[in-house]
Amino acid sequence: MRLVLFDLPSERRGNFNPICLSRPIWELRCGMSSLGEKIIARLGATDVAQFVPQYMAAAYAEQTGYPVNDAKTLGGDDLLLVNPRVKAEALNVETTGAPEVCLSDEGEVLYARVPADTLAKLQAGSIEELLESVKSLPNVQRDLATWNYTWDLVLANPDQITEDFRAAGMSGIVGSVEEPRAIRGSEKDVYVASGAKVHPMVVLDAEHGPIYIDQDVEVHPFTRIEGPCYVGKKSILLGAKCREGNSIGPVCRVGGEVEESIIHGHSNKYHDGFLGHAYVGEWVNLGALTTNSDLKNDYSDVSVVLDGKKPVGTGSTKVGSLIGDHTKTSIGALFNTGAYVGAMTLIMATGSPLPKFIPSFTWFLNGVPTKGFGKKKLYQTARTAMSRRKKEWTDAQEAMWDAIFELTAPVRNPVIKKGRREMTRGR
Amino acid sequence: MATVEQRVKNITGRVLHVDPEGIKLEDDFAADLGAESVQSIELVAMFEEEFGIEMDEDQALSVETVDAAVQFITRVCKEQGVEI
Repeated sequence: MRLVLFDLPSERRGNFNPICLSRPIWELRCGMSSLGEKIIARLGATDVAQFVPQYMAAAYAEQTGYPVNDAKTLGGDDLLLVNPRVKAEALNVETTGAPEVCLSDEGEVLYARVPADTLAKLQAGSIEELLESVKSLPNVQRDLATWNYTWDLVLANPDQITEDFRAAGMSGIVGSVEEPRAIRGSEKDVYVASGAKVHPMVVLDAEHGPIYIDQDVEVHPFTRIEGPCYVGKKSILLGAKCREGNSIGPVCRVGGEVEESIIHGHSNKYHDGFLGHAYVGEWVNLGALTTNSDLKNDYSDVSVVLDGKKPVGTGSTKVGSLIGDHTKTSIGALFNTGAYVGAMTLIMATGSPLPKFIPSFTWFLNGVPTKGFGKKKLYQTARTAMSRRKKEWTDAQEAMWDAIFELTAPVRNPVIKKGRREMTRGR
Repeated sequence: MATVEQRVKNITGRVLHVDPEGIKLEDDFAADLGAESVQSIELVAMFEEEFGIEMDEDQALSVETVDAAVQFITRVCKEQGVEI
């Protein structure tokens, strides 16, 4: 059986912006791993094929060991097509058996099991054709739980860390925890992996959930980590007040106060400032005292503007910022509750809360969204940031970001024009 | 209607807090008029708004003098069919 993960352009993809602008949805993280890793583990798949929006295919192929957008992978074996929005734990599906398809209420394929002999009778020249064709298979009615928005992952993160910790089956101190140390709760709920160094005067509070400190992590003195928490490989915590429910890293630098947030690799929040119920992409740098609100003063549900126009109700009183890859903030940036901060943006603080929607590739300067120094300068900064971590900014990545620039232009351009008018009126 | 030169000088004066009457064509935005990097971006944005044009930011930000700005904006207006 070959597992085929697919994430094709659709309106619904936008629910996972700005994080999924530069990656397929299954690369979003929750708990200790990505959604894709959870699906693969759940199904025990070893043969995996992947289909992503064409504009990111070359860049993604550089990062994954599985084939990307290769039509040949749609033949020669039984297939199990899986939509990555389906929660892994809901995938109680036999990997082999009679052909069947499960559709959402909107007619979207959630999964389809296609034996090789059935495949021969379907249109399988492309993933788009196949997804249309499998809708003719026997339809099973199953109420499969799905991820619908990025904040679903943030809100599920504490429980998911706990589940993933149990599934990993790791416990105890393999790396070092220097004296004096304080482990609250049961040591069985703490795992310090090989090469990880926990300095003196660190509190590991596992009373309310497990703590997994992955390989080569360094935890500096006066850090307090409350479980459930996952700290990814080679990350450094710098005296952080790491409240419950965080998934951090790999290779992040985190200080200040962080609560129930998911931070992708190579992002830094080195200094003081509060980050709560946030989802932060890769290569983000949050300047000192950057702070986000995750709770409104009237305790009402938070809404998020995903498309620059219409607020979407989250149904939750606690939602922080969604921050896209390669975004940088100045010292003292203040994000409003449920702020959408696009990818490749550069934010200069204003002293008051920033707008709730800042499009990708925007330079937010002196309180106004602008084109700034343009995307080439942003690429140059990205290249510099990556080289500091011995990573390469490749031609494929640049081509992907060029495509994202064009993709996001219809939302960005009106915002920038409005900004120009405001700037003119203010002068 | 004011000339392109006068409109450029007026905006430059507003953004950089200098008297437009004292701005000379040969003035360098940074060296003579004290424009800092963020103000350069503001200048570009306000020229775009004033003339109703879209400028390539790399080309626009490489303009150094008032005279070069007048020439550049005139050319972009022509290319984009904007009457000046």
